[in-house]
Amino acid sequence: QIEDLFTKLNGLIQNQNYEQAVKVSDQVLDHSPGDVDAWRCKVVSLIKADNIDKALSTIQDSEKQRRAIDFSFDKAYCLYRQNKVDVALELLKGQEETSATLLLESQILYRMGRMDACMDVYQKLRKFKTESLEINVVAGLVSAGRASE
Amino acid sequence: NPIVLDLAFNSIEFPSLERRM
Ligand SMILES: [K+]
Repeated sequence: QIEDLFTKLNGLIQNQNYEQAVKVSDQVLDHSPGDVDAWRCKVVSLIKADNIDKALSTIQDSEKQRRAIDFSFDKAYCLYRQNKVDVALELLKGQEETSATLLLESQILYRMGRMDACMDVYQKLRKFKTESLEINVVAGLVSAGRASE
Repeated sequence: NPIVLDLAFNSIEFPSLERRM
């Protein structure tokens, strides 16, 4: 039963057993190839398991199968992790400004060394009250030679 | 440059499975 598989999957996710969670997501998809929750669980589990290459190839599988699942943020994140920062930044353009998209944008800009643009994104992030953000802001200020701020 | 935290990673979340179990 699909319900049993999701119960199992939920437990694995709670226990951060992401490799098994990928397998159970696949079991759901064997039964129900278009199940959006299973696709999302598989991709997120792969990312949390640090298997970025497989996460990206899974997203590409969903595209090839025309599943129309919105993995745009996850894809941008995977590309960032693969250091394909230009493509990642391009993918973020046009996405809704959420704390997630802004955080990723700031990390991409930081990695590109575009510190002023990075600090502009931090300004936008202030309204989201992101935990631990000040650590990255300080890193940005130091890198931009603005540590006195 | 100083290392920054990967806060984007933390913002990637699983879907709610409540109604699927
Ligand atoms: K980084």
